[in-house]
Amino acid sequence: MIVRGSVLAIDRPNIDTDQIIPARFLTGIDESGLGAQCMSGMPDGPAQLARVPDATILVVGQNFGCGSSREHAAWALRDRGFRAVIAPSFARIFLENAYNNALVPVTIDAALLPQFVAATNATIDVENETVSIDGGAPIAFALDPLRKAFITGGGFLPYLASKIPVVRAWDIAWHK
Amino acid sequence: MNRSLFDKVWETHVVEELPGGNALVFMDLVVAHEITTPQGAIAIEKEFGDRLYDPARIVAMNDHVSPAKDTATAIQAQVLRTWAKRHELTLYDIGDGGICHVIVPERGHVTPGMTVCCGDSHTCTLGAFGAFALGIGTTAQAGAMLAGCLILQRPAVMRVDVKGLLPADATAKDLALAVIGEIGFRGGTGYVLEYTGSAIRALSMEGRMTLCNMAIEAGATSGIIAADETTIAYLAATQLAPFGYRCERADSNAHYERTVTIDASQIRPTVSWGTNPGEASPVDGCVPDDAPAESLAYMDVFPGQRMSSIAIDQAFIGSCTNARISDLRAAAAVMRGMRVRVPTIVTPGSQAVRRQAEREGLHDIFQDAGALWTHSSCGPCLGMSMGVLAPGMRCISSSNRNFPGRMGDGGRVHLASPAVVAASAIMGRIASPLELAAREAVTA
Repeated sequence: MIVRGSVLAIDRPNIDTDQIIPARFLTGIDESGLGAQCMSGMPDGPAQLARVPDATILVVGQNFGCGSSREHAAWALRDRGFRAVIAPSFARIFLENAYNNALVPVTIDAALLPQFVAATNATIDVENETVSIDGGAPIAFALDPLRKAFITGGGFLPYLASKIPVVRAWDIAWHK
Repeated sequence: MNRSLFDKVWETHVVEELPGGNALVFMDLVVAHEITTPQGAIAIEKEFGDRLYDPARIVAMNDHVSPAKDTATAIQAQVLRTWAKRHELTLYDIGDGGICHVIVPERGHVTPGMTVCCGDSHTCTLGAFGAFALGIGTTAQAGAMLAGCLILQRPAVMRVDVKGLLPADATAKDLALAVIGEIGFRGGTGYVLEYTGSAIRALSMEGRMTLCNMAIEAGATSGIIAADETTIAYLAATQLAPFGYRCERADSNAHYERTVTIDASQIRPTVSWGTNPGEASPVDGCVPDDAPAESLAYMDVFPGQRMSSIAIDQAFIGSCTNARISDLRAAAAVMRGMRVRVPTIVTPGSQAVRRQAEREGLHDIFQDAGALWTHSSCGPCLGMSMGVLAPGMRCISSSNRNFPGRMGDGGRVHLASPAVVAASAIMGRIASPLELAAREAVTA
């Protein structure tokens, strides 16, 4: 699986999920249509997005996705066209939400952030866990090996469903 | 043995180790609310035959926008309600409802040693009971409802040892803000914070919930406090009055990946000045000289500015952080016989809290002071229903998040304890109860 495309960089740390998708837009019962409100909680969010309208790869500062657990943040980014987020670090819940929605989370060395911020294009090889910017040499990154399979394979819920017999056996043995 | 409390809870719930350092972790309780549950419930219905692992382990509630404010939120509530009834889940709804992190412990659903998850980041609140409680996304919550488990990386454990005792005018909220200030807004990432020490033992269950509630604001997976006599007494008085649970505690030589020590006696009433909960100063202090420019610009404050010079436009007492009965008592003690100068909203954390407050006459104190006394809900905290701020409006709030736009597009939020919010509402600017009392003494 290769993710290739234009880069939009918002070089700020601590972009929280209230900025990615404010609570007033969490009134649906499905995952669709949130792209129009993506980044609308950031004071200049829409202007930032407008700089690279066809961006599929978002580059951001550390602790991306902190705050609320709302998976709507991952849904909004995907609906807006993003397929990967590159950051020095992610907040825990957002990271899991990204994996569960095939929004590839690429964690990079903080020292490389300026280089990524300056990028126009990037190519992410999910299988081999490398990213290259503007045709340069591949840079290695690491994905959680189990959750990576949720991106490239059948997804999180089918995997967990396959574990129900194991859980049931443990539950019965443990709670008897 | 050298295991932490967290280690013991974790190890008794691991069903299976998985590749990449992951584990399949059994969830004793899943809490489901109307904002983050419907998508997952619908996915289970469509793709997995509508089966739930164990309906007895799911508690459902309409809490975020309850009663519904419009058609969209009415649909959310009705989907949740219909689903909960179809599966015969315990359901807290309009009339007997409340904020999930208030009502779930208040009724006695959480006991020491449990694992709990909910599609809500403030689920860490429930760690106050010696449980491992964490916020997750909608898909993960659906997984827990479908298969009874989460897939988790084992978090590291940071001991937050709080020695001494809090001064009389400092609260669990001030301690929570101090912890975030100490370890940093993202310093807890990858950790569970295990709170220990004399100041923690001295906290009420409500204070412990306030402290654990804000573990996520340091980026932590959760917070956890060993159960003791305070916990047992609290649980015995709940509706479910649970029994038969084990109160584990850390071994005396427990291993922690990191230890932070805090002197409780140095904690002051604290108010945030910036755009994350780590950006806070004592109420009688100043905005720091090295404050980040973006935070200063958004909040329209300047380095060296006295906190007490910051005028406010609105005050809010409520949220899963500070809307329990002791919080309302603290606010009422400050507001008694006073008048608020700015629009002030008081939102109890549950309808049971509301009824208790009314038995004590607190609602009269608030309303005599000119404040609005509302039904229970998440309310203004997340800018989703009532009490939304206009751009540029400044609100002092007993809630947990001061992110840009959190309480309304362009709105500004200062976090504080209920007592400081009450004093500020009366003064029309950031103020401590002590300062208010001193002014009253002079006027009298």
